[in-house]
Amino acid sequence: MAHSSADASGISATAAKSGEDTGSGESREVVFSARNLWKVFGPKADRIPDDASVVGLSAQELREQTGCTAAVRDVSFDVHKGEVFVVMGLSGSGKSTLVRCLTRLIEPTSGTLEMDGEDVIGMDRTALRELRRRRASMVFQHFGLLPHRTVLDNVAYGLEIQGMGKSERRAKAAEMVEKVGLAGLEKRRPGQLSGGQQQRVGLARALAVDPEVLLFDEPFSALDPLIRRDMQEEVVRLHREEGRTMVFITHDLAEALTVGDRIALMRDGKIVQLGTPEEIVGSPADDYVRDFVRDVPREQVLTVRRAMRPAEDGEGGKGRELAPDTLIADAIEAVVRSGGAARVVEDGRCLGIVDHACLLNVVARIDAPRHDGVAA
Amino acid sequence: MSSAATTTPPGSLGAATADGPLAALRRHRGLGKILLLAVAAAVLVPLLHAQWSGGLWPTGLTVDVSGPLGKTSDWIIDNRDSHPLFVYFLGHLSNAVVISVRGVYLLLLALGWMGVTAGVTLVAWRVAGLRIAATALISFLVSGALGMWVPTMQTLALMIVAVLASVVVGALLGLAAGLSDRTFRLLRPVLDTMQVLPAFAYLLPVVLVFGIGVPAALLATVVYAAPPMARLTALGLRGADAGVLEAVASLGATGRQRLLTARLPLARKELLLGLNQTIMMALSMAVIASMIGAAGLGDRVYQALASVDVGSALAAAVPIVLLAIVMDRTTAAAGERLGSDAQASGPALLRGRRGWAGVAVATVVLTAVGRLAGSEVWPTGWTVAIARPVNDFKEWMVDHLYSGVPVVGGTADWAAHFTDWVLNPLRDGLTALPWYATLLIVAALAWLIGTWRTALTAVLAMAAIGVLGVWKPSMNTLSQVLAALVVTLVIGVGVGILAAGSKRFEAILRPVLDVMQTMPQFVYLIPVVALFAVGRAPAAAAAVVYALPAVIRITTQGLRQVDPAAMESATSLGATRWQILRQVQLPLARPALLLAVNQGVVLVLAVVIIGGLVGGGALGYDVVTGLATGDLALGLVAGVAIVCLGLMLDRVTQPTERRTGKGA
Repeated sequence: MAHSSADASGISATAAKSGEDTGSGESREVVFSARNLWKVFGPKADRIPDDASVVGLSAQELREQTGCTAAVRDVSFDVHKGEVFVVMGLSGSGKSTLVRCLTRLIEPTSGTLEMDGEDVIGMDRTALRELRRRRASMVFQHFGLLPHRTVLDNVAYGLEIQGMGKSERRAKAAEMVEKVGLAGLEKRRPGQLSGGQQQRVGLARALAVDPEVLLFDEPFSALDPLIRRDMQEEVVRLHREEGRTMVFITHDLAEALTVGDRIALMRDGKIVQLGTPEEIVGSPADDYVRDFVRDVPREQVLTVRRAMRPAEDGEGGKGRELAPDTLIADAIEAVVRSGGAARVVEDGRCLGIVDHACLLNVVARIDAPRHDGVAA
Repeated sequence: MSSAATTTPPGSLGAATADGPLAALRRHRGLGKILLLAVAAAVLVPLLHAQWSGGLWPTGLTVDVSGPLGKTSDWIIDNRDSHPLFVYFLGHLSNAVVISVRGVYLLLLALGWMGVTAGVTLVAWRVAGLRIAATALISFLVSGALGMWVPTMQTLALMIVAVLASVVVGALLGLAAGLSDRTFRLLRPVLDTMQVLPAFAYLLPVVLVFGIGVPAALLATVVYAAPPMARLTALGLRGADAGVLEAVASLGATGRQRLLTARLPLARKELLLGLNQTIMMALSMAVIASMIGAAGLGDRVYQALASVDVGSALAAAVPIVLLAIVMDRTTAAAGERLGSDAQASGPALLRGRRGWAGVAVATVVLTAVGRLAGSEVWPTGWTVAIARPVNDFKEWMVDHLYSGVPVVGGTADWAAHFTDWVLNPLRDGLTALPWYATLLIVAALAWLIGTWRTALTAVLAMAAIGVLGVWKPSMNTLSQVLAALVVTLVIGVGVGILAAGSKRFEAILRPVLDVMQTMPQFVYLIPVVALFAVGRAPAAAAAVVYALPAVIRITTQGLRQVDPAAMESATSLGATRWQILRQVQLPLARPALLLAVNQGVVLVLAVVIIGGLVGGGALGYDVVTGLATGDLALGLVAGVAIVCLGLMLDRVTQPTERRTGKGA
């Protein structure tokens, strides 16, 4: 079973089906597992999830009829160990509420939530505090730094909360400051740093406690575009080096595609599609998603697997070889340079052919007949 | 309805015209309120007039409370030594106050003038820098040189105990209100109201319980000075950045960790501002509390004013002003330093814990030096008696400036004219105005500016004045307040506009306003007595001078904060400066101007009441007489009337949004 999330509701059939052959083939350990999670704000909120008569209503109808707002509606998903799980949606789609539900900074209204198989909803205050202290730490959009402390003491704050001694935590914090590239700024106060630097402090603070999972709540939305790209690269680098599980909230599709292994796209509190970046862009589950991803440069996300056609007689033996996960953009370059069609080869076997026409079809959004089923 | 309208056009027309006035009313809510009040008045006034005509509050509607109050007062005096409430609670409280004030006073005397001066200067240096340390040094030396060392130490001792108590009480209340929504909702209106009440209103209740003496003075000071600390602590704790608190929670902090490592440190600025305001209010009250048994500088001023001895009053007032400036600048500078993140400047010896140790050691050494030299109290040979020359100068002024100055007249003439042409007609007009008309005007004003709640409070407060049987003196006080307010607003807004228009003028004005705003109310009485002798006009003049800085400040800030984009667009349309001021700046600064009126009225009232000491008469005089003759009932009723007047004036001028800045 490639995706235990395949049985989760709210996932389109397309995504579930294509999940079989993309993403991680091997079954992986699950870190967070949410089932039928709800968060409703408003009077008598706890009645909403069980009330069959209102569950199907749209957000506006629900507000008019009950005075409640369902920020998270019947959401189920798994976060696998070592992946970057992105939750993406426009503002008001419930993504920030969802990530806060994971450590119960916002108390979920109903549903189940497990971390490493442990029931999070049922945890008492001490257990929950332990979870927040050591297992999941969060990076915030507006940094949430303590203005009266130096950079070093801000980074050490999580360790201080745990009760670690002063010299030990400072030594560890200094290491983290170094790691996020702020060496030399230890004695500054947050107010004296740029936005990007402040967010590096936030990141270092979260890393200092060596958590199992890092939660990012729109961490780079408040930053300038150039700095945002730096920080995204920083996250990708950290993930590559440490392989830490990350849950990443963003409203920026490009960011989601850059950092995400899998993306859950939210709308009005529901997950409308969950899949790899390629699935989201290549096979939108509905018109909303299609509209959402319309401006994405497809050649930067899709691979030749999606563009190739079956090899005709005699074609299998010549032309350049490309791996099936080559990006369309790279394939275009290869095809243009070589002047002819290229072969998509996996384990010495020719899966198909990409030529000018196939590649242009992808860029022009004309869906070519799909042949990826052949490979499986 | 709609079908009828479509089939018969005249019908729809009729409906439209019927809708007209209602829609217009909805558009002009003020107009609607006025109409509603007018209808109510049309029904009620003939009834009331038929029943109780005449300008003054009808005697049939008053309740004589002096009897019961007198009895209460007698009961308290009789039982002060025997009733368990006094023996087991208030008695201990009173003793503790006496002992601690006495203890601090003896400590200050033991430190000697050298020790105290050195200690204060070094502390100021440590927390506020060199310039303010120099100010502190000079201030204490001047106080000594004026022969006021002992009274200064007496005031300082009372201040130290009062500020400590106020800070503890205020911080605890603030903590409770900051952490619990319910406490906050309960406490906030009380604290807001306490801040608009004149200091005089606090004197009599404490005297009723404790009798005249140090405990009463200290408690009045604490009750007066604790609210700003409580308010700002609560606001600081509640205003903490929600994002930071969430981040702290996400790291698994316990409630205690959250309070100690995040909420309190995040509120540091507000806490220090609260300390600053508490100190200033405590000084202001400690001086006034000389009337109920606080020895020290205030007492000297009080005694001197009683015999119109301007020279002696000035000699005692100068140390008060200097003390105020030193305390204000030191705490304010400490607050600014926190905000600016700057590393502590000053010599390395004065930094960190070692700095405090250094301060302590230096103070002890200088104390020892002073004791060895045998000069503990300020050496008598080093004093300068300024009372006589000042009084001579005042005599000269009486002879040359009071009247008969060509063209401009004289100060006494001005005061007489102001009394004859402004205060008397206003007072007589208010007294002659039917009482129900007064209530209606109050209701209309309060409702137009605020909400029906503020209007109701204002009307009830006004009615309470009538019921207590002090309508006439209250109208007298009100006339002084209104006259002084108009003068304050005309000058204040004018100067404010000028200051907003010219950076240079503002730069000159700023230090003057700073000093004026730090001075306790009491001090303002001295120059006006020197200039205008005693009477109602000088009381009004003192009120004007006292209220001016706040009005100027708020006006200037309000005009400065007008959206520059709006000004720019007006300029781009070719508006003249006058047009911009009238059509853009003033309308956009309306909230600030309303706030200026509100602050002005509160501050003016406070000083008009204190003006009872220098011939202002009316309610303030009743309080003074009540205290002086032991007629607590008279004083208490006047005190309640002051509270009601203060409430009424505040509510009538209260814009919907509450101020958060410096209180009265």
